[in-house]
Amino acid sequence: MSQPRESITTPFIIGAIVLFTTGAIATVLLPFFEDTMKRPNANAEIRNYAADSPEYRGRQIYIREGCHTCHTQFVRPTKGDMNLGPVSVPQDYYYDSPVMQGTVRTGADLMWVGRRTSPAWHKAHLKNPRDVLPGSIMPSYNYLTEQETDDLIAYLMSLKPAPSTAGTGAPSAPIPTREREGDTNR
Amino acid sequence: MVTNEQLSYRAIRYIYYSAIVWLLVGMTVGLILSIKYVWPDFLVIGPLQKYLQYGRIRPVHTNSVILGWLTMAYVAGLFYVIPKLTRAPLAHPRLALIVGYLWNIFNGLGGLTLIGGYTTAIEYAEYLWPIDLVFFGLFACVMFICFRTISNRREKQLYVSLWYFMGSLIWFPLLFIIGNIPNGMIGGIPQALAAWFYGHNVIGLWITTVGVGFTYYLLPKLSKNPLYSHKLSLIGFWTIATFYVWNGPHHLQNGPVPSWLMKAGVIPSVLLIIPVWSVLANVFGTMKGKWQLVSHDVSLKFLITGMIFYLITCVQGPFQSLMGPSSVLKFTNWVVGHAHMPLFGAFSSVVFALIYHGFKDFAGREIYSKKLMDMHYWFSVIGFLVFAFSTWTQGVLQGFAWAEGKQYGIQFVEVMQALRPFSIFRSAGGFLMFAGQVVFAYNIYRSAKDGIPVEKKDQQTA
Ligand code: HEC
Repeated sequence: MSQPRESITTPFIIGAIVLFTTGAIATVLLPFFEDTMKRPNANAEIRNYAADSPEYRGRQIYIREGCHTCHTQFVRPTKGDMNLGPVSVPQDYYYDSPVMQGTVRTGADLMWVGRRTSPAWHKAHLKNPRDVLPGSIMPSYNYLTEQETDDLIAYLMSLKPAPSTAGTGAPSAPIPTREREGDTNR
Repeated sequence: MVTNEQLSYRAIRYIYYSAIVWLLVGMTVGLILSIKYVWPDFLVIGPLQKYLQYGRIRPVHTNSVILGWLTMAYVAGLFYVIPKLTRAPLAHPRLALIVGYLWNIFNGLGGLTLIGGYTTAIEYAEYLWPIDLVFFGLFACVMFICFRTISNRREKQLYVSLWYFMGSLIWFPLLFIIGNIPNGMIGGIPQALAAWFYGHNVIGLWITTVGVGFTYYLLPKLSKNPLYSHKLSLIGFWTIATFYVWNGPHHLQNGPVPSWLMKAGVIPSVLLIIPVWSVLANVFGTMKGKWQLVSHDVSLKFLITGMIFYLITCVQGPFQSLMGPSSVLKFTNWVVGHAHMPLFGAFSSVVFALIYHGFKDFAGREIYSKKLMDMHYWFSVIGFLVFAFSTWTQGVLQGFAWAEGKQYGIQFVEVMQALRPFSIFRSAGGFLMFAGQVVFAYNIYRSAKDGIPVEKKDQQTA
């Protein structure tokens, strides 16, 4: 009746923990020691914002409003990303905490959005995306204060490659807006 | 004198009913989100614009359904099933009830902070660290209660469900720590890897494994056949424990991670077909000769449907983790459809089966209406299929449109316009799923109030 109760559960628990730990070490811990993860590059330095700079505050607003739920910052060496700019490397994200890679592209990738846009464009776009690009489903951020909007724009404009890497990847043309639609002949 | 059984059933009822409320909350938010794909200005009214803004409520949806609905229902399920399998009374039933109360507060706080814009920005781990600590404490209590009950067991054989439960109870808190390392202590790609370790494994080593444990409990009960193969189920357990933890990196497929890591993420994803096969073989083996029961018994219908969706999930998952398919499907709505399959299609169905099956016990009443049960089933399944196929179609369209170069600006908006009809279908499917759950909640409510009381069988002295 009273068999030693733990006799079965203890090895079981140890086994479960060992298997778990193996996977965790391999996929979470080891990468820390990869060379590519240990050093920032020139792109990362651009994104190493001083606390309380407009870009820093803008990034906080980006997080607060959940822009990352619709936008990635993640360029892959695939056809689907070929016009977005230089392919992302681990070094780019060195200072990125929390990491803003994102998971869904409901909107376009923003890894290097600063090189194809202007502050004025963002201003109009954030107020009401549908004024700039009719049919867009991005929310209007007209409830942000003037200051918040400017900070956010400073952040978005900082998302560009350093001159040393800007040459790689296809150049992006500036985004055509409604006023420019005429010259694209559509 | 209240008996231990009465106390534990009270806790189980409270936690189940709370979970159902979170299900409705989470799905309401999900529905709002899906409507915003069609009309981005939906509910842009006064302060609601800000507080129901897409980016803010998206994590409210995911957290409410994962930590509110499914995890809470799982906890109630564990409190119900473990005593049955061990023939020991639930340890500390009063504590169990308190866990239920506090869990609601935890989730409510979490939701409110997210709406207020306070978020860690790490997907599925968005709650801030003080809230994480509350969760951790609550989960520690759940572990304590479950392990105490198991160590008091009067049944010699550890039925395979208990293996799955114990494994999951150990893994989940470990996962949770790794996924919730506070920002600032970690960043960049290592943080992305830690986040995916959590994000993927919370499905694999908590939602899946507890759900499979419930399935192994329900199968013999509902089919009235003995489990086809105990050995097969143990093979399933150890293979899932071996391979699942390795899956995180496939979320960074084609991304900024070393290639050895990508391979280390993809190969185990493919090998996961072994545990899935072992579960399915057991389902089909156990059901042999009893398939006619499926048409009469809604619980069984939910259970079998759930297992079929589980199979599809685990065929689809490895496929989309491969380099080629991933380059087209990653970041598209395909993935959104995929993510709903284990959580809604497969394991919510298992929980529905478990609630319907156990209701007589823990509520002491019959289910109020069998017709409503059927409605719940059909609305859920048809709604989910409509929803899932619209997202999958959208995903393929998006993937190929991007590959043609339509990656930003006006061209991107053109693609989005092409997706709109499917977004409408997606909302319609979501609405049907939601309607099914309203029917479910109503049926449970009426059963608890007006269900025919079950005749107390000659008081089993356990
Ligand atoms: C509901 C999802 C959603 C959310 C949330 C969202 N966006 Fe967007 N975003 C889109 C969509 C869709 C587009 C493409 C159409 C357009 O340009 O308006 C887009 C486009 C953009 C673009 C133009 C990119 C390009 O190169 O074409 C920028 C910049 C941008 N969003 C910034 C933001 C910022 C900043 C936030 C947070 C304050 C944000 N978005 C939140 C959906 C979203």
